Amino acid sequence: MATESSHSVLADRLRRRVVETGVISAELREGAMHAGGAEHDDLGAPYDVLARTIGTASYRVTDAQVGAVREAAESDQAAFEIVMSASVGAGLKRWDAAARAIREAADAAR
Amino acid sequence: MRLAEVERGDTLGHRILIRMISRFAGYRLPDAARVAFYDRRFVGPVLGEWTQKTMRGPGSWSVSERELMAAMVASWNTCPFCIGAHRAIAVRGIEPAVADAVLADYRTAPISDRLRAALVFLERMTREPDQLSADDARAALDAGLTTEELEDAAAVAALFNIIARNANALDFEIPSASDFESAAGMLLRRGYA
Repeated sequence: MATESSHSVLADRLRRRVVETGVISAELREGAMHAGGAEHDDLGAPYDVLARTIGTASYRVTDAQVGAVREAAESDQAAFEIVMSASVGAGLKRWDAAARAIREAADAAR
Repeated sequence: MRLAEVERGDTLGHRILIRMISRFAGYRLPDAARVAFYDRRFVGPVLGEWTQKTMRGPGSWSVSERELMAAMVASWNTCPFCIGAHRAIAVRGIEPAVADAVLADYRTAPISDRLRAALVFLERMTREPDQLSADDARAALDAGLTTEELEDAAAVAALFNIIARNANALDFEIPSASDFESAAGMLLRRGYA
C-alpha cells in the first residue's frame, strides 16, 4: 500500500472545507458536491440541474440556471458556494479515480 | 461574470484591491483572480494552496509542461478562459507552435513520450473517470513516468477540472490576447496562492 501523498491530504482538506464551512446549508453544499461528482443524491430544484450540468458539461450552464439558484439561495455568496461545491465534486471524483488507479498499479508492480 | 458580488468583491478591502490592481496593471483584473479574492472563509485558501503546490512546487514537470496540461484539461472541458490563460503561461517556456500543436492534437504533437503518456492518462481521467483503471496508470508508468510524476500530473487535472467548471459556470469574461499575456506574467511572478 502506497503512502498517502500530500496531494491526497490536500484533496481531503478541500473536501472537508466544502462540508464544514459556508453560509448556505451544509446539506446543500455537500449535495452539490455529490451531484457535481455524478453521485445520486437528490438535491432538489433548482440546485440539482445546475450542479449536475457543472459536473457533466459546464460549458452548457445558462444564465437562467445560475439565476434560479441565486434567487433560491438568496445571496451571491450562497449561489457561489453551490457552483464551487459542484465544481469541487467533479474534480475530486477524478482525483479519487486517478489516485486509486495509480495506487493499484504501483501495488501490483511490487 | 454571472454573480455581481464576485466581480466587484465582497469586502471593502477587496473592492479597493481589485480596482487598484486593475489600474496599476492597465487591464481588467481577470475573473479568476476575483474568484480567488472572494469568500475567503470557504474553499478558496485550500484550493489556492493545492494549486500553488501543484503548479509551482517541487516536481520534475516544468512549469510550462504543467501549464500545458492545465490548458489541455481546459480544452477537454470546453473552457475558453482557461485555455487562453494557461496557454499564455505555457508559451513562456515552450514554443507557441508546439503548444498549439498539443492543443490541436497532443497525440501527434512534437513533445516527449513522457508528456504524451501523461496526457493520455489525463484525458481519460477527465472524460471517462469511471473507466479509469490501473491499466491506464500502468501504461503511463511503462512509458517512463514515475508514480510521483503521474500523481503530480493527475493533481493538475483534478484542479483544472474544478477551475474550468467554475469559470464556465460563472461565465468568466474572456480577456484580449494581450491581456492574457499580461496576466500570464502576473501569475508567473505571484503564483496561485
